Amino acid sequence: MKSTKFTEPRKLSKEEVDRKWWEIGDFFRRNSLWMLMYCTGCCAIELPPAMTAAYDMERLGMGPMATPRQADILLISGYLSVKSLRRVIYTYEQMSEPKYVVGLGSCPINGGIYHDSHAVINQLDQYIPVDTYVAGCMPNTESVMNGFVDLMEQIRNKTAKGWIKYQENNEWYKKNQKAALGEVIIHDEFHE
Amino acid sequence: MMNSMSNVEFLKELMNRNFKVIETDVIDKYQVSFVLKQADILQALVTLRNAGWIQMSYLSAIDWPDESKIEMIYIFMNWERPVHVQIRSKIDRKDPVMPSIINIYPGAKYYERECHEFFGVKFPGNPDYEKQLILEMWDDIPPLRKDFDPQAYSDRKFTKREYKEDYLVLSDQNSKKEKREVRKERAESLKGGQKV
Repeated sequence: MKSTKFTEPRKLSKEEVDRKWWEIGDFFRRNSLWMLMYCTGCCAIELPPAMTAAYDMERLGMGPMATPRQADILLISGYLSVKSLRRVIYTYEQMSEPKYVVGLGSCPINGGIYHDSHAVINQLDQYIPVDTYVAGCMPNTESVMNGFVDLMEQIRNKTAKGWIKYQENNEWYKKNQKAALGEVIIHDEFHE
Repeated sequence: MMNSMSNVEFLKELMNRNFKVIETDVIDKYQVSFVLKQADILQALVTLRNAGWIQMSYLSAIDWPDESKIEMIYIFMNWERPVHVQIRSKIDRKDPVMPSIINIYPGAKYYERECHEFFGVKFPGNPDYEKQLILEMWDDIPPLRKDFDPQAYSDRKFTKREYKEDYLVLSDQNSKKEKREVRKERAESLKGGQKV
């Protein structure tokens, strides 16, 4: 009789192995998130206390990142004008996967106090997928921190799937982008 | 050392001697506004610049749809004589054309582009006043004209989030209203610590 000590481990299928590796990856990823901050809105004023000694984002393992290609999170703080939405789409598409988007304040949710402006878009998730929203005008720093913790929880539960949605429904997103922007490609004198 | 009232006097004297000033408004001792004819503007700016108003602080427009006019506003600052000068002039609204001032104040280049974008004023003399600056691929009338409706534009262009109206308004139910009024009356009657 064979000893149970030496039974062969069950062969795992490729999907199972992949899932295990993803779980390991997600563990490290959620504890070391690099955030690219797109701070054009007024909610960005809540980030200095979140980053510095008052709330110390670093203790969650989060840090600021200067370039899109090395960042995990794209943080959209506050209102987005049509002009900056083009740049945000450029930035989002440059980021390496997996990538997450956090919308800060009520403007990315429904336009906020700029809901009737000619220059400000109303719903960010029509154009790029958003994983976590932090509501409020402006949200206080506790809720900003809470939003980041929520995002980590989502990564752990494998529900932060915005980037997969963007791949799968790419035509739908592109259609919305075209409807609001006319053309996503940036034409200005500094790019030509 | 001159006091600042004499600066205003100096400025008024300078403008009235050289140009036909339609209206003068001394807002305070640091701000004076002159309304001129459109034809006088360029000459007035040259005069001001030579007199020391070397800093162009602002260039913009105001839309007056009732009069069918667009009012151009130029603001200048002199660091030797600290007075802000506003030069105003009303131009036609149907086809607003204003000669560019970039030969006098080169910094006006981007202000003129912005003004063209938001008010539709043309600036011949500025080589790229028609290039887009802030609004990209704009497809409507200039947005700071008074007859532009931003709400309608936003509704047409951007998707709105829809919310279910699944709340109850409890505050205007009759039964509660009566009770509330009775309570309020009683509270009023207790004012001054005396029961009526």
